[in-house]
Amino acid sequence: MHSSRLTGWALQAFLLLNAIFMLAPLLVMALSAFKTNAELFAAPIAWPEQFSLDNLRLIWRETNFPRYMLNSLEVTAAAMAILLVFATMASYALARYRFRGRDLLGLLFLAGLMVPLKLAVIPLFVQLNWLGLIDSRLGLVLIYVAMGLPSAIFILTGFLRGLPHELEESARMEGASELRVMWSVMLPLARPAMVIAGIQNAVPIWNDFFFPLVFITSDRLKTLPQGLSVFMGEYNTDWGVLFAGLTLSALPLIALYVVLSRQFIAGLTSGALK
Amino acid sequence: MKRHTTTLRATIAATLFSLSTILPATAGELTFWTWRQEDRAAYTELFRDFTAANPGIKVNFEAFAPENYNTIASTALAGGKGGDVLQARAYGVLEQFAKTGYYRKLDQASVPELANLPAEALAAETLRADGAVYALPYASQTLGLFINKDVFEKAGLTPPTTWAELQSVGAALKAKGITPIANGTATAWMDEVFAGIFTAPMLGPDFVADILAGRATFEDKRFTGALAHLLELRDLMPQGYTGIDYPTSQQLFLSGRAAMFAGGSFEIANFRKQNPKLNMDFIAPVAMQQGQPRYVAKFFDGGYAVNAQSPNQEDAIKLVRYMGTKAYGDKFAALLGNISPIKGVEIADPLLAKVAQLNAVSIPYIMAVHFRFQSPTGSELLSAGLQKMFAGQATPEQVGADVTAGIATYFTPFQKKP
Amino acid sequence: MRPGRALWIGVLLAPALATMLLFVVWPLLGAFADAFYSFRGLAPDRFAGLTNFQDVLFAEPWRSTALQALRHNLVVFATLLVAQNGLAFLIAFALLHALPLHRLHRVIVFLPVLLSAVIVGALWKLLLHPLFGAVNAALALLGIEGRPWLGDAQTALGSIMLANGWHWAGFPALLFLAAMQRIPREVFEAARMDGAGAFMILRQIVWPLVAQATTIIFTLTFIGSFNWFELPYLMAGLAGSPGGATDVLGLFFYRTAFGSVSSGLQDFGHGSALAVLMFVFLAASSAVALRFLRRREIEI
Repeated sequence: MHSSRLTGWALQAFLLLNAIFMLAPLLVMALSAFKTNAELFAAPIAWPEQFSLDNLRLIWRETNFPRYMLNSLEVTAAAMAILLVFATMASYALARYRFRGRDLLGLLFLAGLMVPLKLAVIPLFVQLNWLGLIDSRLGLVLIYVAMGLPSAIFILTGFLRGLPHELEESARMEGASELRVMWSVMLPLARPAMVIAGIQNAVPIWNDFFFPLVFITSDRLKTLPQGLSVFMGEYNTDWGVLFAGLTLSALPLIALYVVLSRQFIAGLTSGALK
Repeated sequence: MKRHTTTLRATIAATLFSLSTILPATAGELTFWTWRQEDRAAYTELFRDFTAANPGIKVNFEAFAPENYNTIASTALAGGKGGDVLQARAYGVLEQFAKTGYYRKLDQASVPELANLPAEALAAETLRADGAVYALPYASQTLGLFINKDVFEKAGLTPPTTWAELQSVGAALKAKGITPIANGTATAWMDEVFAGIFTAPMLGPDFVADILAGRATFEDKRFTGALAHLLELRDLMPQGYTGIDYPTSQQLFLSGRAAMFAGGSFEIANFRKQNPKLNMDFIAPVAMQQGQPRYVAKFFDGGYAVNAQSPNQEDAIKLVRYMGTKAYGDKFAALLGNISPIKGVEIADPLLAKVAQLNAVSIPYIMAVHFRFQSPTGSELLSAGLQKMFAGQATPEQVGADVTAGIATYFTPFQKKP
Repeated sequence: MRPGRALWIGVLLAPALATMLLFVVWPLLGAFADAFYSFRGLAPDRFAGLTNFQDVLFAEPWRSTALQALRHNLVVFATLLVAQNGLAFLIAFALLHALPLHRLHRVIVFLPVLLSAVIVGALWKLLLHPLFGAVNAALALLGIEGRPWLGDAQTALGSIMLANGWHWAGFPALLFLAAMQRIPREVFEAARMDGAGAFMILRQIVWPLVAQATTIIFTLTFIGSFNWFELPYLMAGLAGSPGGATDVLGLFFYRTAFGSVSSGLQDFGHGSALAVLMFVFLAASSAVALRFLRRREIEI
């Protein structure tokens, strides 16, 4: 969209301010990872005196970092794949068809957001135990899928509802099957919502440490936040190490996002009708 | 019906099983659960000794994040799993686990080593309802004042012994740009520790006895008067103390920016690790008047419990018995810098020996020892009240009244008061 | 409806529904049952009817804690709804324009969303620190005396909301942006031909035409504000320091069910009762709000 020069400058200034506001704390975090504890307390926002790798080395030495990261990647990727497929299917049904109990069903899915699943940790444990899924990555993946479905379905349904009816009607007139209408006509238009819902859910899944703490006990299956949470408990007064741990655990997701940012932007804009 | 569930279970399990892994409990292997990740090295060594004496029993160390430990342990135990031997908390939390039947009852027949422990320590791991012991106590903690000796020396000052001295020494430190007391009030549970330390000499054992007998409540002048004195310490605390949390307070003390830190003996090992060069002392809190006893507050940390559903009962009992021996206590104290309550334990470390000496003049850390058995706990009530008091939103009298009213919901001696 | 169509809808819904039933609904029903029991230690013992509900609603000290927490939740909801989402709306409108660097801006705006609450909490605690914090340091340069933002009952809740806004603003911003992009360009051009200014376009065209996004954002903000837990927990502790100034229902529930650090007592009976009450309140309000909000939506 184009705009007058004055509006353009005002908006640009606003966005630049916003960018500073968004980036400055991130910079503080990244820099803190390279500081000693004493330095951090003496000059928390200053540039590190020397980029000390001691904090990172400590984490590397004392935790099974690469293993944890691999586990986290596997669990998050599997959960995201299943979640997006299940959520898209359900949302499509809720948004594009009229049937009895539709609104109630939508509310049922949404209700999953209104209760802290943590409360159900004991029944969940008993159930996973019954299914033989304690100390297994699959158990975690399924919990994460269930946890992510409510918001993913809600966002996707909201977006799919807004798509014009003429598109699918004309495809049907041409004899396309329901699957074809969904796959080739409607879903491409929902890509922005899928991208947003995907990232919104990937973050809490990637960062969750509560469920792994309860359901995973073998060191070789531990996820990154879980492995680091125990480690950082030991160094809870050493903020340098703490920030190094936090930065390291955030890094994979941020790196992935930056690498895929072109696709991210493309995904976001693909819904534009013109 | 039974058949149906079995078929259903088999079907679901079969579809899900392919990726799952279950670790079967291996005979001759015990798992020890704890919230103390930082103690891994010490326990590894202690368990090595155990395995040497009991060939064929290996002990695995499993640590969990402390703030989630109770939830994780109770969830696993409810599901029939969990470590074979678990580090257990004391008092109210111990009771919850014991009452539910998660811990095995220990007695002199199965664990003769219980005789090595003083009654006061065993009481912390006893279910009051049946009078049985459910965990073998491992440490006592003492609350007092940490002193940075180098800071005091450089300032040409000596650590205070009376309230008046605390004020004058504090003013002198401040004049030199040093924060006298490192503590802030942002972390709620630390406020109870802070109050527990400075009020102990003002309250003394008589007050505790009066409270337990119902002769006094927390509205008593002795208590509210002691709280009012705490407010005088605000001048000696860091700038913006209402926003200073526990880790910051520790850091201020460790870095020498503050001269004193009110805390528990459980900090000693941690402080040494964080700053090996720190030249510190641990002293009793100041007396109101010269010559009066300087009481420290004391409590027991927790114990070692046996999972009642563990398939390795015999081996687990063997481990707990070993943990009740003097040899274990000696090594535990030396490796972990904590005071083992086992009788006759020798404490080589001079600072720790001093703490043990301070214990001779002590009162119970009252909320932890006596009012953590039901909600709202005395600790929750007091720390919430203290935070308000330090922020100027409540008077000592209001705090005393709130604490009393909260405890009165379950503590009958308080209910009789009109 | 043709039977084939019904089957197709069933196939679409089944996987999600089954997962939800198995891993959310069923275990939660088990947990909700706890609300009706008195406990012996950590296990439900005797059926207690509505006693637990009565306690948390009417008995002290639960009642005043619950009321104070609810009040804070309402403040949080109103503030986030207006400030956080208002900012997001403006960001989205700015991003809609093909300004220089707009791709970079789109990437940056979402970066904080990628961080865990643990990081955001630790980061903002450091920034707002009374002794070492960047915020007070920056204010000192302007000659303004800082305060212990998180230790002051006046500013603590606001500070945590600020951190929350920083963390999450990118999310509604992108939802708004995605919706704005679906507005056909001719609509804007026609408006401009008629001499409408930027504000006019925002109010008369953009706002009504992004109603679907507004519905989603309003509902998620509403539910999120009343289940708010992680950031206050990480920045103010389980007790809602200082002195309950940041206490919200999420903290109160968690403290009750799982026990605070100092006492550690777990109370699933009262904890579940609180969770049930919060659930009923949220479900009822969301159902009403959704009905109203969806009526505003226009198909483009």
